[in-house]
Amino acid sequence: MENYKYIGQSVQKIDGKEKVTGAALYTDDLEFGPDLLYAEIVESTHAHAFIKNIDTSRAEEIPDVLAVVTGKDFPFKFGLYMKDRFIFAQDRVRFYGEQVAAVIARTPKAAKLGAKNIRVNYQPIDAVIKQLDSIKEDAELLHPDLENYVHVPWFFPKDKTNIAHHRKIRKGDMDKAFSEADHIFEEQYEVPRYSHCAIEPHAAVAKFDLSGRLTVWASSQSPHTQRHIFAEALSFMGIRHNDVRVIAPHVGGGFGSKAGVTMEIIAAAIATKYPGHPIKIIWNREREFFNTYQRPGVITKLKMGVKNDGTITALKHELFWDAGAYVEYAANVVNAVGLSAMGPYKVDNVQIDSYCIYTNLPPTGPYRGFGYSEFLFGLESLITQVAHKLNIDPVKIRRINAIKEGDTLAYGAHMNPNGLHQCIDKVAKEIEWDKKESSPHKNKVIGKGFSLFWKAPAMPPNASSACFLKFNEDASINILVSGMDIGQGYLTVMAQIAGEILSINPNKIRVENPDTDRNPYEWQTVASHITWSCGNAVKNAALNAKNQILELVARCKYLPIDTLFLEDEKVKCTTKANFELDLKDFIITGLQMEDGTFKGGPIIASGTFMPQFTSTKANPETGQGGHPNVHYTVGAAALKLEIDTETGKMKILKAVEAIDGGKILNPSLAKGQIIGGLLQGISTVLYEDMRFDHRGKMLNPNFTDYKIPTALDIPDEIVPILVEVAQPDGPFGARGIGEHPMIPAAPMIANAIEDALGIRIKSMPITAEKLCLAILNSSKTNINNK
Amino acid sequence: MPIAHDFDYIKPATMEQTIELLNQENKRISILAGGTDLCNMLKNGFRVPDLMIDIKALHELNVIKDNNTDIFIGALVTFSELINSDIVKEKLYILWEAAHKVASQGVRNRATMIGNICSAVACMDSAATLLVHNASVHVKSVNGERKIPVNEWFVDNKKTACLNNELVTGVTLEIPQKKYASAYEKQMRYAGEDLSQSNVGILVQEDKTYRIAFGAVGPTPKRSLKIEHFLQGKELTDSIIAEARQMIETVIAPITDVRSSKEYRMQMTKVMFERGLRTAIERLNNLI
Repeated sequence: MENYKYIGQSVQKIDGKEKVTGAALYTDDLEFGPDLLYAEIVESTHAHAFIKNIDTSRAEEIPDVLAVVTGKDFPFKFGLYMKDRFIFAQDRVRFYGEQVAAVIARTPKAAKLGAKNIRVNYQPIDAVIKQLDSIKEDAELLHPDLENYVHVPWFFPKDKTNIAHHRKIRKGDMDKAFSEADHIFEEQYEVPRYSHCAIEPHAAVAKFDLSGRLTVWASSQSPHTQRHIFAEALSFMGIRHNDVRVIAPHVGGGFGSKAGVTMEIIAAAIATKYPGHPIKIIWNREREFFNTYQRPGVITKLKMGVKNDGTITALKHELFWDAGAYVEYAANVVNAVGLSAMGPYKVDNVQIDSYCIYTNLPPTGPYRGFGYSEFLFGLESLITQVAHKLNIDPVKIRRINAIKEGDTLAYGAHMNPNGLHQCIDKVAKEIEWDKKESSPHKNKVIGKGFSLFWKAPAMPPNASSACFLKFNEDASINILVSGMDIGQGYLTVMAQIAGEILSINPNKIRVENPDTDRNPYEWQTVASHITWSCGNAVKNAALNAKNQILELVARCKYLPIDTLFLEDEKVKCTTKANFELDLKDFIITGLQMEDGTFKGGPIIASGTFMPQFTSTKANPETGQGGHPNVHYTVGAAALKLEIDTETGKMKILKAVEAIDGGKILNPSLAKGQIIGGLLQGISTVLYEDMRFDHRGKMLNPNFTDYKIPTALDIPDEIVPILVEVAQPDGPFGARGIGEHPMIPAAPMIANAIEDALGIRIKSMPITAEKLCLAILNSSKTNINNK
Repeated sequence: MPIAHDFDYIKPATMEQTIELLNQENKRISILAGGTDLCNMLKNGFRVPDLMIDIKALHELNVIKDNNTDIFIGALVTFSELINSDIVKEKLYILWEAAHKVASQGVRNRATMIGNICSAVACMDSAATLLVHNASVHVKSVNGERKIPVNEWFVDNKKTACLNNELVTGVTLEIPQKKYASAYEKQMRYAGEDLSQSNVGILVQEDKTYRIAFGAVGPTPKRSLKIEHFLQGKELTDSIIAEARQMIETVIAPITDVRSSKEYRMQMTKVMFERGLRTAIERLNNLI
């Protein structure tokens, strides 16, 4: 390993002071003066209905109500991967809570009163609530003109059905593999929908000024993608990309919910109807639950062929996704899982069918894990069940099958360097896998569960990042990038990368949240790719700056460039021990020559990065031939679970998680991601329990009845383990870890329950109630069997 | 979230003024003490009052008074004040225990126990205490004062015996004159703040009399005289407890809702009854 100064150090967060002191401003903190207006939306009260008419007359008479906007004002679709979503519902609503109209008013109170006074006349249609009902032949079609929808080339919608996309993988010879297997196991699992529950709700302020310039301030993971979608959607007004400016203040939690575009487009669109005034929309907690994105639900059917020695010979994996009313982003979750539902195993014969299904429930989309938590619940449960049936240790069966560098992936490309086997060994040791434990408490038992995980960034093959780097007079630096720090520490790590290359302490480098007018392009802060992708752009910009500096010094001081290097804000020379030039003496002003003239000038640099080996061009029937994913990040996790057998209540006594992040750029931040991510995963297993009634109305869009853990609910001990097998094309060898830590939570809890009680739970969540009733049922069954 | 409708707000300085203001038949009136329930209802439009009477200036209602045979708790006493009261901790341990499990720290700093029993939602945490301490609720109106026994106070879910023109001034809890101990058990979905899906209040006395209250497993919280009679005078052996535990199936009628299924409420009520009873006995034994 090279000796680094800032890389690999737990550098303190560069935005920490701002956040701790309260100096950090979030969208709702921004002051807009007395011109600021407020908007309130009118929500659909049906999950599926035609809109017969909308009567806005009473609302328009309310004092301080300035304008009412409906679907008629914006008769077109938008979307990231597939244009199937509307700014306001057109002739029909497709989920309960969908925006039908908006009221613009001088006060929040008048806007709310106005919205209450809009009368919408609906003609209900049969609502399709369950995804398996939605794919039946006689199911009501949500999008009858699906065949005309614009989408990316790697989606395959099925005309005149509710299937928005079907990702197929066909690898090897399934019939042969199953016939040659010693055992075949089949199981079905179910994972319901979840909500991100960022503490800051979605918020957007938009101003369309009288010259035709649109500015949007939004709590966002994707400022440039938002600008792009706003510009596309409003192009009918003659708006160009450079007329749209997105300013992204600090974000109070994203987890995928603030990726792409959801409610922000309402602000952008209605601003054009009332020019000259900033208009603010803030989602309340209820809407945060049902009108942004939810994590899609899925029913998975697995069939696995296994040899007596535990070797997996074949895997058939069918996934039926409940993707909701609009799937412009979710269809890519379905796609990503379709490519990767083989799991982190070497399997030569694979068949995957991942179906993106429309239902009359809220739209779904990206959520930390991007579908991998969902499919690994089934796969990692099944592998444990198989191990038990074959009488093989669950860790051993994973060692036998775990993927290695060079193994063939489901879509035919080869696995990147990785430390999966190291992760398995380290986790097994730390959790004392071979040691059986029992509780000293009456009514309590202890079980251990193990799970592997993997995930690749899911992104277009040409998603890119860019960076501007500017030196200041004192050799401090401002870096302009357009990723978002959503708590993960991205800004700090970008400063570390530039600091390492330029030998400047990261505390002298400012990296801040973007303004699309000033900051260069970034695709989105999603996919756990930002450290890898934007990190490469920053690295390239820093190398470019370094080269400019050294060239200038070489030229002016008549030294060979390859003898020059940067150290502690100085240029030094390997062959002249006494030579040193302070950057601050020339980085803006240039170097003075003997004749009194100056050479050089302000050092500014840029860098970009785009993966140039990726392709989604593949055979649609087999998924073979392309290279859709840049790389996979892998890991292993285990926990020790104490169960109260009378109440079903569970306590995690210890959790261990090892992840191979390549070169870890900031260990403290990486461990923070592991702990935070694992807690979020545990929350989806033990507490979060989304409910809808039969009409498609969400019953618990609030923290009273949708529980996320408090400080009282966290495990007694979490041990994060960092494994470092370098990613060859990553900055300093880094690859992403942001989403991964939450992925193994569900299967390892289900596996620990089976270890302790012999009861297999095949649906999430696994609440105390569900487990308690399962225990009661199993004891009844046991009595009956006797 | 804004409140979309207008209403008048008055903060009277005296009790007389307050009950005069309350005595207006044609007005929808809301009383503001802690406001933790009321403000949400105003924002959601579930309550649309013409007049809001803020009683926070009636300082005489902010009192916890120990009268030896009973304790008076005024309408302005918050849950945090109950938690910080030595009188409550020493003599009304069940209330001290229950108060800790009400909502979150921030809510407890404002919310009052009287507000809790006036909202009278089935999941309230205060009822078990009042039931096992044979409490009575003090109300005042222009027609004078009434004391309503707690078992008559809860009429139905969200419905009490309080008349429209009456103000609840406080509650009196009876203190047993024999040695006693108590315990509160609450079914929650996690360790953080939660509304009880069911709850059990237990009070045991040295003469082997038992008071058992069940909450959130019917429209109103209730004592179970059936189980109390069964246990009366008995030493609590494992088999007696098991028998009493089994009787619960005949005395409560839980429902299924978004918070819990009826089957789980039944199971948890049984478990909490047994655990609460054993805890209370242990506490009593530690006293003797």
